[in-house]
Amino acid sequence: MTAQTLTPPRTAAAPPGGAGLPRALHAEWIKLWTVRSTGWSVAAMVALGAGLTTLVCALVAPELAGGQESEPIGAFITWGLLFAQVTAVVLGALTVTAEYGTGMIRATLAATPRRGTVLAAKALVLSGTLFVAGVVTAFLGWLGGNAFLSAEGIGISLGDDGMLRSLLGSGLYMAGLGLLAMAVGLLLRSTAAAVSVVLALVFLVGNLVMLLPGSLGEWLTKLMPGNAGSRIAMPESFNPLLLDPWPGFAVFAAEVAVVLAVAAVTFSRRDA
Amino acid sequence: MIVASVLTKRYGERVAVDRVSFTVRPGRVTGFLGPNGAGKSTTMRMIIGLDRPTEGSVTVDGIRYLDCPAPLRAVGALLEARALHPGRTAWAHLRWMAASNGIPASRVDEVLGLVGLEAVAGQRVGRFSLGMGQRLGIAAALLGDPPVVVLDEPVNGLDPEGIRWVRTLARDLAAEGRTVLVSSHLMAEMALTADHLVVIGRGRVLADLPTADFIAEHAASYVRVRTPQPGELAELLRRSGADVTREGDELRVQGVDAAATGELAAGAGLVLHELGLVRSSLEDAFMTLTAGSVEFAAARPAEVTR
Repeated sequence: MTAQTLTPPRTAAAPPGGAGLPRALHAEWIKLWTVRSTGWSVAAMVALGAGLTTLVCALVAPELAGGQESEPIGAFITWGLLFAQVTAVVLGALTVTAEYGTGMIRATLAATPRRGTVLAAKALVLSGTLFVAGVVTAFLGWLGGNAFLSAEGIGISLGDDGMLRSLLGSGLYMAGLGLLAMAVGLLLRSTAAAVSVVLALVFLVGNLVMLLPGSLGEWLTKLMPGNAGSRIAMPESFNPLLLDPWPGFAVFAAEVAVVLAVAAVTFSRRDA
Repeated sequence: MIVASVLTKRYGERVAVDRVSFTVRPGRVTGFLGPNGAGKSTTMRMIIGLDRPTEGSVTVDGIRYLDCPAPLRAVGALLEARALHPGRTAWAHLRWMAASNGIPASRVDEVLGLVGLEAVAGQRVGRFSLGMGQRLGIAAALLGDPPVVVLDEPVNGLDPEGIRWVRTLARDLAAEGRTVLVSSHLMAEMALTADHLVVIGRGRVLADLPTADFIAEHAASYVRVRTPQPGELAELLRRSGADVTREGDELRVQGVDAAATGELAAGAGLVLHELGLVRSSLEDAFMTLTAGSVEFAAARPAEVTR
């Protein structure tokens, strides 16, 4: 490295415009794709989601066709998303917790001092990426899984009831889950804590409330974010208790919005 | 120009910055000097809107940082060297920053060349040494070609060549008419770099004056004379216009230099045991000024060994 002195001051006029949302979006987009964790997360989502769906369809197709298995066929065609959603949680949390962990958040806020703009840009870039990744994952899973189902004569076409909605719904659910993890990450500022809390909420609490007696347990089961939000990603469900796809997703979206709002208020009041 | 007015930051009971007011003018390097924990970093963080002042305000060229339309083109700041993701390359780090403020991508290569990092532009910054990280931080500060530059402890972790480079850079930036604020806890470094000093201790401004004045005022020198006839020599020196204080057989003389003191003594036939110039260092002056405002004072070595 050689020491250099400064070049003469540049006289070229700076381009017009400020550090508004379009520029913040551009910056967040570059940030997202210039760390390895994003590529790994998305690759893991596709591999887990599409791979496990294909695998489970291959395993159950003969039994489903033979009538030894009473579960609905449509519940298997996006089955891998159960595991793939972990990657959406990790990616969502990392969007903010990696910045707090490394001190990067100070550079981010120095570049874009308006907290609301930073948060909106992060949310849009993250949810857009997860939506596309979720749809692609579900589509590849359908391609793989359906090959085995079709071979047994019980294939599901894209035109069948709820199939296309499930593909889009996979994207929507992944995006929503990522935003939830991002909001929790913003509140807790720790990757481990944020990922643990969201996964516990989706996997653990979401299933434990089913054990509560009576209508209380029934309603809590319906309303837990993982239960309410994931139904939209499945043509049919193993659990008949769940809310219908769109009402369920509306509940999930409202829950995500509330946590995001709390996180946004905290973020805008907090020193970096 | 940076104007802080009654800027205050409290964390619960603790007052980190206490009604601080100062003006950092363009065209010169202003040194922001104080012991660790004096409130330098907190003040600088408030300048660029990272911390919200409890009271008071600070503006850059008349507006709050938060209201700057493209802040990186208004103020370039080096806060902590490690305000970056270790997995990102140096080029990518600067590229997203440029994008956030509409700065052309070509400027990224320009500032990388400026700080001498072009050869490692594609390396992940997690593998950078402290000095390289510092250079990247300075590259980020210069990215928007800003009229105001704020550097918090920029020489930390730099080798002597790097320290000299930062010193030259700060002076060049000021010579170009920019406003330059450089913080340090090292008086000697500031004496070489800064034209003007704002000294801060325990969150308060202790001094705000040109560096030359600070040196003249605080780094006083005197002639020390030891003689078996201190009374007579003191009388003689006072008659020739010197200020003399007596400590046992030692005289401290100001206003007459060592040569003149010796000649006076010789003329009167007085015996001298010692004659010399004592210069108190800037570091001593800084210590004296900030004494009592150091957050974690260690016992003085002399007290420990005695």
